[in-house]
Amino acid sequence: MSAYSVNISVEAPVENQIQEITYDGQEIYTPPLTMSEHLTKLAQKIDFAKCGPEELNKEITEIDKNEDEAEQSTAPPLWPWDSVRNKLRNALTEVSVLADVLSIAKDKHYMVLDPVPQEPPELKPMVQVYARKKALAGAASVLLSGADRLKNLQAEALRNRTTPDFHIELLRLRQNFRLKKVSNSIVGDLSYRTAGSKFAQNGTFEVTKAEEDGDSPLSPPCSPNASLSNKPTSALRVTVPSELQGVAFIKVFFQKDQDSLTAAQLNLPSSSTANAIPDMYWQPKLEAAQNVLFCKELFNQLAKDAVQLQSPIPHIVVGNQIIASVLPGIQLVIGLCHSGVSTDGKTAVVPPSSNGHDHVLEHSLHQLLRELHHKNTHHPFPHPSSGPIGPSKRRRLAGPCAADREELMQMTQSETMLEQVIKQAQHINLRDRTLFVLDRLAKDIKDPLITSHWNALNSPTQSCVKINIVAHMYDTICRTSLLIHVNETTLKCITRDGRVIHMSYESQELRDFIMCQVYLHQMTAVQNLAKCMGWQCLANSAQLGVGAVEPFGNASSCVLASPTGERLISVRCEPKSGVHVTIAQSPRKDFFPGQLVKERKWENLGGSFKEVRWDKMEGKNFLNKMELLMASLTSS
Amino acid sequence: MAMAQQTVNTAIDSLTAALKSNIIPNQEYFLQGSILDSSVEVLLHRLRGLCDNVDTNLETFHDHEMCFSIRGPNNTQPLQLRVRRSLDHNGMPMQLRYIGQPEIGDKSRPTVLRNSIDIGTSNTVVEFLTELGCRKDFEYSAKGYMFRKGRMKITVFKVFKIDETRKMMSSGGFDALSPLTHSYLVELSVLAPSGQDAIADDMRCFAEQLRPLVQLEKIDYKRLVHGP
Repeated sequence: MSAYSVNISVEAPVENQIQEITYDGQEIYTPPLTMSEHLTKLAQKIDFAKCGPEELNKEITEIDKNEDEAEQSTAPPLWPWDSVRNKLRNALTEVSVLADVLSIAKDKHYMVLDPVPQEPPELKPMVQVYARKKALAGAASVLLSGADRLKNLQAEALRNRTTPDFHIELLRLRQNFRLKKVSNSIVGDLSYRTAGSKFAQNGTFEVTKAEEDGDSPLSPPCSPNASLSNKPTSALRVTVPSELQGVAFIKVFFQKDQDSLTAAQLNLPSSSTANAIPDMYWQPKLEAAQNVLFCKELFNQLAKDAVQLQSPIPHIVVGNQIIASVLPGIQLVIGLCHSGVSTDGKTAVVPPSSNGHDHVLEHSLHQLLRELHHKNTHHPFPHPSSGPIGPSKRRRLAGPCAADREELMQMTQSETMLEQVIKQAQHINLRDRTLFVLDRLAKDIKDPLITSHWNALNSPTQSCVKINIVAHMYDTICRTSLLIHVNETTLKCITRDGRVIHMSYESQELRDFIMCQVYLHQMTAVQNLAKCMGWQCLANSAQLGVGAVEPFGNASSCVLASPTGERLISVRCEPKSGVHVTIAQSPRKDFFPGQLVKERKWENLGGSFKEVRWDKMEGKNFLNKMELLMASLTSS
Repeated sequence: MAMAQQTVNTAIDSLTAALKSNIIPNQEYFLQGSILDSSVEVLLHRLRGLCDNVDTNLETFHDHEMCFSIRGPNNTQPLQLRVRRSLDHNGMPMQLRYIGQPEIGDKSRPTVLRNSIDIGTSNTVVEFLTELGCRKDFEYSAKGYMFRKGRMKITVFKVFKIDETRKMMSSGGFDALSPLTHSYLVELSVLAPSGQDAIADDMRCFAEQLRPLVQLEKIDYKRLVHGP
């Protein structure tokens, strides 16, 4: 060993030795050696040829000694080198005998070595032919099986050009859904739990590789029409639990009368149940299952709310529907429609087409549940950062600000989903009623024109409408505008002079109010017109105390005088019976001096008022008639 | 008087009852590590991927912490109290916090466990503590990012010295902060009622996912103090 040598430790590799590599590249390893096997293997490596004759002799003596010792000890210990030693000893004996024989034979004194004539091997041609045939058959089968495998691979590669690979599809699936490998199968989760859902039902599904062989005979009966047969086939097959199969949606509609309260099982139209394709592409299938889960959670939550809520008219949960009263005589029905595989037992027939489905409410129901999910996951962060996660800013401030019990109780209260939906439903109802009343009035009343502008920006529980009342052709003279806020169960009306009037959901109230506004508008317009014409307004009263009692509102009136003061017009508006116009003039034409009123000068006093037959008057509308009347009275 | 006595009793009774039934989160499971400034971006990126609410923006914070201590009557171990306030969020209450001695435990315990009691206070808490006889030991400001994963809170922040010379200025010395080190402190903590050791395993799993960027470990402060 030189001084520059480096010590290298040599170790056996950790891997097992390869015993065989099969044609498909699989490596078969030899099992690891046990301790004794390893030892014998090492022992077999000992090269006895290296030993010189002197060493041999030494060893012989040593072994002889050992032999003696071994013979002395009648029961030799079974140590690992025992067999090796025995073999070595036997070999040595044979080798020394051979050496003796050779040394004797070399001198050729006592022993001569003769070559032994060898017998030629017996040739059997038939056996050879059979052997070759067998060997060839073996080789041919190996080649054929290899060719088959190659063909299969090629065919699969060709198919993969149209349908993607299993692993690529798995990757795509993984990008959209949570997947997990459980022992030998791939299990996915389609529940909304990571998004904040607390629904107990789990949405696990299993992913398997679609069998190519099973597909081809099955697909023709599954797809009777040609369009289905060339739909994209997938290398993936997903198995969703039976309770999540099919199509589900939440049906929301209003029910007007009590009589249809009978608990009817809601069902999908039969057409949609029929084509539940069992072998769908995985993406729509999973999305449908996710939707089923979502609808179930939504319905479950609403049902829970319905049972817990205390309301004057209790909400009813029957079968797959919830009935909640919105306004007197109007119920909101929320139903869970699920065309599952297992719902074959409940196929009661209901005509769902008769009561329409409210898409807006369905959408807001979905939105509400998503908001709930969002709230479950998005807790505010604490500031300062060492605080606990969870409490809101108000809760954090409650301590330092010494919040009392009531404030704390308020923090815990929140509107349930059902309450919010009912409010939205109430608002929708009230908005529709208001819309109907306004449209009806606009249609019925032609004289002052009623126009309504609905604000495009509104919230689910509040909307706003602006109403303008003008007369045709006289819109610059007078315009009455008012604003109506439509809330859940009340209307708030703000008139032009700033008065605020609250009304209930009864549409008659709104109708009466608008009618009052219309007659008020007429009175104001007449006075404005009179100013334009140079007439003078002598008196006006919006709330007239004389005359018959009106069913709603009060009669209003005004007295107008011509520029010369000789003519008087009195207008009386009654919301019930309409407009009455009377005129008087001075000096009165029919003045005759009597016993009491003798002098002629008294004729200048206004005479008795005479009613104008308003329906016979010329003019397109009330203001036009008034204008013509004033004009004629001024000129005459 | 009797009435008042009664109400005080019931309040204390309900508090002890709450303590007994283990609903007060007074235990903090805790892991710490640090990361150099140069690689903190990578860590933030990974945390954004791992933690909840990826859709929202990065939550930042900037806090000011003061540590007060008060000695007991018979010269025992001083009681330490921490006052912390947020500098970037107005209107949030200040926080008074007591942190107990950390229990390192043996190798089987995955996290440090320490008592932690915190309460929101009004802004006069510093004066109150000074009146009580507390002395300010040290103060610092921490600025960084906050993440959430389930019940776990992950903070990545830098510790800054507070400039004493500029303290009299209107900003209170928080405009010119000088960092103490060239690294960020990473803390993973969960506040939980005592006996919920399952969360500690979750924390260890999460800490594993941050390796090798940052090694979140149980840090023995005593060894740091008495070490060479």
